[in-house]
Amino acid sequence: MMRGAKGGIGIIELLAITAGSIVVGAAAGAADLEAGRALYDDKCAQCHGLSGEGDGVAADALDPRPRDFTSGSFKIRTTPSGELPTDPDLASIIERGMPYTGMPAWDFLGDEAIANLVAYIQTFNEDFADPEMRVDPVEIPSPPAMTEESVEKGRQVFVENKCGECHGDQGRGDGESAPTLMTDAGIPIRPADMTKRWTFRGGSSRSDIYRTFTTGLDGTPMPSYADSIDEEQRWQLVDYVYSLSEDEPGYGSVVVAQPVEGPLSLDPGDGSFANAPVTRFPMLGQVTDPGRAFAPAVNAVEVRAVYNDEEVALLVSWHDIAGRREGSNRPNGRDAAPADAALSDAVAVQLPSKHGGTKPYMFYGDPANSVDLWFYEAGANEARVYLGRGEENLAPAPAGGDEIRAKGVYEDGRWQVVFVAPRGSGDAQRVPQETFVPIAFSVWSGLARESGNRRAISSWYHLYLAPPDTGEAYKAAGMMGLGALVAELLVVASVRRSQAGGQS
Amino acid sequence: MPDKQNGRGLPVIAQVALVFAGAYLLLRFSVQPPIPSSVLGMYMFFVGVSLMLFVSSDDDRFAEFKRPLIQLLTAREHKVPRLVLGTVFPLLVAYLGYAGAHTEIAPPGQQRTVHPAPPNEIDFKGKRIDVLTAENPFRHLAEEEPEAFREHVARGKDVYYRNCVFCHGDNLEGDGLYAHGLSPIPANLADPGTIAQLQESYLFWRIAKGGPGLPVEGTPWDSAMPAWEKFLDEDEIWEVILFLYDFTDQHPRSWEE
Ligand code: HEC
Ligand code: HEC
Repeated sequence: MMRGAKGGIGIIELLAITAGSIVVGAAAGAADLEAGRALYDDKCAQCHGLSGEGDGVAADALDPRPRDFTSGSFKIRTTPSGELPTDPDLASIIERGMPYTGMPAWDFLGDEAIANLVAYIQTFNEDFADPEMRVDPVEIPSPPAMTEESVEKGRQVFVENKCGECHGDQGRGDGESAPTLMTDAGIPIRPADMTKRWTFRGGSSRSDIYRTFTTGLDGTPMPSYADSIDEEQRWQLVDYVYSLSEDEPGYGSVVVAQPVEGPLSLDPGDGSFANAPVTRFPMLGQVTDPGRAFAPAVNAVEVRAVYNDEEVALLVSWHDIAGRREGSNRPNGRDAAPADAALSDAVAVQLPSKHGGTKPYMFYGDPANSVDLWFYEAGANEARVYLGRGEENLAPAPAGGDEIRAKGVYEDGRWQVVFVAPRGSGDAQRVPQETFVPIAFSVWSGLARESGNRRAISSWYHLYLAPPDTGEAYKAAGMMGLGALVAELLVVASVRRSQAGGQS
Repeated sequence: MPDKQNGRGLPVIAQVALVFAGAYLLLRFSVQPPIPSSVLGMYMFFVGVSLMLFVSSDDDRFAEFKRPLIQLLTAREHKVPRLVLGTVFPLLVAYLGYAGAHTEIAPPGQQRTVHPAPPNEIDFKGKRIDVLTAENPFRHLAEEEPEAFREHVARGKDVYYRNCVFCHGDNLEGDGLYAHGLSPIPANLADPGTIAQLQESYLFWRIAKGGPGLPVEGTPWDSAMPAWEKFLDEDEIWEVILFLYDFTDQHPRSWEE
């Protein structure tokens, strides 16, 4: 098959350009602008726009929006607030990408190609060409050891400098002013959730965090504290921020429910949940059905579960920068909610209606295999049950839905919603023990105006009711250990006896 | 009794240990795909038995093999190592017992055919499309009108970055913004094992009907791949197909090949 002349560039050409630029770069000690342009038009323009204005075809669906290179304003810099980034700053962010945004990591392009891109994107703003506008980076010293004391002192620095006004007292992004924050371009922006370090745009190492509040994130409300916090306190603050989060999200795939005695509680603070393991699931934009959510507010849920003979209780929690109880919400529908309607937060748990049949389609089931949707609406502070046979065919459950109870609490940036549902029996068996029951989640943020299909979703995962721990593993360990000891003593005894016999 | 009776330098017990360890490393690390641990345990059992047979087949060799062991178990000067070994061994066995009885809770694996057989024909917004023979209406332009062809590719690129990039990623490698939360993960379209193995009409079917259009062996219930007929018209689908091959420098499979 023949292929026509090409206007864009393919892998081979790309390699050639990269190889060529190595030669050129080595000879002239300078980047190759033409190569940079070609690569930019091929790989970057779809988001950042052909003329660098951040208006590529994909831009409207991205939040945060792609950087407008003509503005000269960059988030991740080692230079003081308001200054242009250095070449290595740009190269490093292109190479590393910006986690949980549309900006991917381009490390596979190689250093030379990235250097060409850095040179080319600087042509979009003439200040880059003016040596007077280029300033020296601030020094980022190597981090001192992190100690319990530095973390404690860092908490004080956090409080004194009012980081919590935006980031929330517990760092979950729920500060008082969080819902009102805007970028310089007038687009709402959420403060970082410090309990999820892996989502930091500029990287999650201690040096990255130091750089963030030393130089600030230009174009956003995140200020520079270069003048107000001295170096020692800055490291303490780094350590405090660092201590709020695990290293990795550690996403899981099974909620393991623990058996408990007695009735199940709707109180998320109930002690029985404390012994149940937490599983974190990633939440994604619902982009499969019309009414798509390209940048949902919520990026993960954490789930625990307990059960007794009759019922199962799920504690679903997630972070949002505000908890909305005003108004109402709904799980289905393609159209955006009317602009004047107050939207409350909501969460839904989805399970197959019938145990053991064909798995229903992950988006609200299909005509042949329906799902039960336990929909908790914060406005009403209760659950409604829906029966789903597809995105366009989700209706209140005909009967028997009201035995599912739910209550939610929003505090310090975290929703905790408890669902208690009958496990069912016989034909209506819903959640049998020691079986992997498919389970999926949806979350709606009222503040972000999510409703119906505009929501965060998870894939299908599993709920598993673990049998009571009868200590089988310890029993096995004890028996085998003891067996080994006895065997050992017998061998020693017999060897000694035979040796003694042999000598005599 | 001469110390190195078989004249081969290493004491018999060390030889046995070396062969045993060597067999383990070989089986454990050099075989692909990796041998399951239960099978590995069985193999190692046979290796152990064979070594014992070898050692005991010759009386002198057996005696030499046993000597250091007997010394360890009886000699006064070996008291400390004896005690250490005597404690460590039952603990190790106890741990194995624990690990054996304590299984991780993991859902059963699921069989899935990645490129299942397509239906013969599909209904696309009221139009019949033959999945085996339909041709990309713009493909012939590649030779006849290269400029018009480039325009269709460019339009396909726009379609891709407006719709597909979130899952299939900027470089078409299946690693988009949402890929970490999907199972099955989005197809890596740059991999020579995907679109280069398929006809354009097959891609048309997969794109138009998405996850819900898969047969059972393709686990339609788990696939987040949208049915793009809900969003795109016929031309847009053929154009984005042009772009997929163009960007990854691949060619569709055709019947003539
Ligand atoms: C799929 C869309 C997409 C593509 C393709 C893309 N970017 Fe981005 N880029 C973004 C988004 C979105 C941001 C802003 C992220 C943020 O503000 O947190 C961004 C930000 C940036 C920044 C600014 C970093 C800062 O410190 O403010 C640079 C530089 C950049 N991109 C360069 C590139 C280059 C070079 C390419 C091509 C190799 C590229 N981008 C391709 C979406 C994209
Ligand atoms: C006026 C509101 C505001 C205040 C006060 C504020 N921040 Fe921020 N901060 C933000 C916003 C908004 C973002 C998110 C920027 C983005 O996503 O691009 C952010 C992001 C961050 C990040 C993540 C950076 C990254 O790479 O994504 C860290 C760390 C951080 N802030 C630390 C602090 C600390 C420490 C303080 C107090 C010394 C502080 N912030 C005070 C608004 C604020």
